[in-house]
Amino acid sequence: MVTSTSAVGRLLPAISSLLRPPPAGELREYGGVALVRRKRVIDVGCGDGRMALGCAPYASEVVGVDPDPSAIRLARAKARQLGAANVKFKVGVAQELPFADGYFDVVILSWTL
Amino acid sequence: MVDALREVRRILRPRGILVDARPDSRVVAYAEHGTATGTYRQVGVIATSHEELVNDRSSDDAVATAVTSGWFRSRGAGRFWHRVLFEDRPMLQRYLDDHARFVHRVRWMVDPATRRRWDDDPWAIRRAVRHEQFERL
Repeated sequence: MVTSTSAVGRLLPAISSLLRPPPAGELREYGGVALVRRKRVIDVGCGDGRMALGCAPYASEVVGVDPDPSAIRLARAKARQLGAANVKFKVGVAQELPFADGYFDVVILSWTL
Repeated sequence: MVDALREVRRILRPRGILVDARPDSRVVAYAEHGTATGTYRQVGVIATSHEELVNDRSSDDAVATAVTSGWFRSRGAGRFWHRVLFEDRPMLQRYLDDHARFVHRVRWMVDPATRRRWDDDPWAIRRAVRHEQFERL
């Protein structure tokens, strides 16, 4: 059974998030939006913001962190385009996350480890 | 990777949830030919590259360390299938050539003449994604 589909090539530019499942489908596999609803969520290794932006409509606050500045620029542009005011993106690495102890309710490592 | 999981634990509240999702290299991926009716038929097998198998084992070891260290406990795991669509077979081959996860050669279940005849049809790679949720202890 196939539960999600994405397309590359001339159909869509081959950027990484388009090679991955759509966020709604991925969230559904994790049990649905209840996982992130009204929660503080961080997407570590967020790339161009695929999962972080997918969580934004449900979560109270979302942060995306990725070491690639160009991916973060793209993620911020997408967030602006979507008007996602509760999402922030930061350049950073998983080993040093600039947040207080116990700040987040949910951590997502999607295709990160 | 263990350092990253230690840091994840630090920023998670007690009983907070960690989701770990990644390609499942324990099962093979499939090359699929798109039919005129819009369905896809499995016509080849694509193995994970040796380097990625090693990386995946390192990830597994890191997660196991985090669990045995008492940082997290598993709340359940699952797997789903994801299909990446390609406009034609050369596009699929270019993807395999450019990406490190898979070996570059498909193990075909159809003969070369048939594949050539299908070159301009839609193609797909169907691959498994594993996921596990952990509760922060």
